[in-house]
Amino acid sequence: MRDRDVFGADAHRYLDGEPFGELSGAEFAAADRLVAEAREYAQRLGNLDPALDEAVMAAVRDRVPSRQHGRLDWLLAPRTVRVRPVWAAVLAVAAALVVWFAPRASVPAGQGAPSVRTATDTVFVRFELAAPQARSVSVAGSFNGWRVGALTMSRTAGGVWSATVALPVGEHRYEFVVDSTQWVPDPTAHAQVDDGFGGRNSVIVVGPKGLVRS
Amino acid sequence: MTAIRGAWVAACLLVAPAALTAQAAGVEQRLEARGVPAGLAREVAAIAADASARGVPEGPLADKAIEGWAKQVPAPRIVSAVRRFAQEMSSAREAVRGAGIEVPSGQVIAAAAEAMRSGMRPEQVRTVVRAAAAADIAAPGLSVAAALSAQGLGGDQAVKIVVGAMRNHQSMAELLDLPSVAREMHDQGMSPGDIEHRILDGGGSGQQDGKRTGDHGDRPPSVPPTSGHDHETGHLIAR
Repeated sequence: MRDRDVFGADAHRYLDGEPFGELSGAEFAAADRLVAEAREYAQRLGNLDPALDEAVMAAVRDRVPSRQHGRLDWLLAPRTVRVRPVWAAVLAVAAALVVWFAPRASVPAGQGAPSVRTATDTVFVRFELAAPQARSVSVAGSFNGWRVGALTMSRTAGGVWSATVALPVGEHRYEFVVDSTQWVPDPTAHAQVDDGFGGRNSVIVVGPKGLVRS
Repeated sequence: MTAIRGAWVAACLLVAPAALTAQAAGVEQRLEARGVPAGLAREVAAIAADASARGVPEGPLADKAIEGWAKQVPAPRIVSAVRRFAQEMSSAREAVRGAGIEVPSGQVIAAAAEAMRSGMRPEQVRTVVRAAAAADIAAPGLSVAAALSAQGLGGDQAVKIVVGAMRNHQSMAELLDLPSVAREMHDQGMSPGDIEHRILDGGGSGQQDGKRTGDHGDRPPSVPPTSGHDHETGHLIAR
């Protein structure tokens, strides 16, 4: 049993330096002993090594938090991480390799094409072809994955077929597809270039400000 | 600790080939998704993987195969064209690296390859790339130079115009407008030399802007070249 367990309310007031009533001899003796121990402890504290504070704080900082604090506390608590530079370099190389060789299957067709996407701007481009005898005409090019029929043209007066499409600024290659089988370059395009298969692709360079005509 | 080090080294050694395999699979899947037969898709994917290992972008190769398939080109000719394009891009990559870009982007490589296919020489490619103040303007610069060259201006003149535009700090919009400007001047009867001087003297896109303002897609229906009329068929813009 500890001394304070035998203390009454008056003994507590005595220790707190407050007015108190009657105390027994045993209470006086125990209280005086506590006061003496407290003074001795205070005297020891007064002679502490000045480096003690820093040592204690360092120990607290380095202390591994117990699992009782929870995983969230563990994640949020600041800590010092020691990394050897050589492993940091290895990590950087590994990350670069992963990014460089990452599969790009999900990239839309147009983005991997020779067409140059230089800005997020898109410009409405109107294609026209005179083909009075045609039953259908569409535009297939680098901007729609060369899909025949993806951009069908409408017949207007005089057998002129036309279609308007929003294209990103940059260079685009295309051809007209007449009756779903005949690939025809646009004679009025900016340029005609070899398509690598023995034919010619038409080229337009679309600027952010738009263009008057090819 | 030794085990951790070993795991790191093994991971680094495994990353590259594993990624290459995944990349090839990506090309193959993309081609098959477009209806390309599995055998042809595998062959193209193998070419793309080999090219990719040499720093050549695989996207344009897949696109070329898709283009050929859409045009109903026989498979052997598609393979041949893809292989040739890979070689062209490899040469273009070396040309661009000669301009001081150690690791050129896929876009620049593809643009350089197309420009060289259009007749531009490696030194002309290097000149354009060197003149580009920023990496992202090199590719459009090459495309514009190639388009101008294909319009009949000649490679040197085309390069001179593009480099002049870059050194005059013209905007991307003005740079990309040059083929339209040159085309308009050509239609007005100007010679390639006159077009070059006019553009370099600043008489290019600014003059055209006023005319463009009134167009906005309201240009009259075009008349086909095949009908014997003027070449007015074209692409009208309505922003």
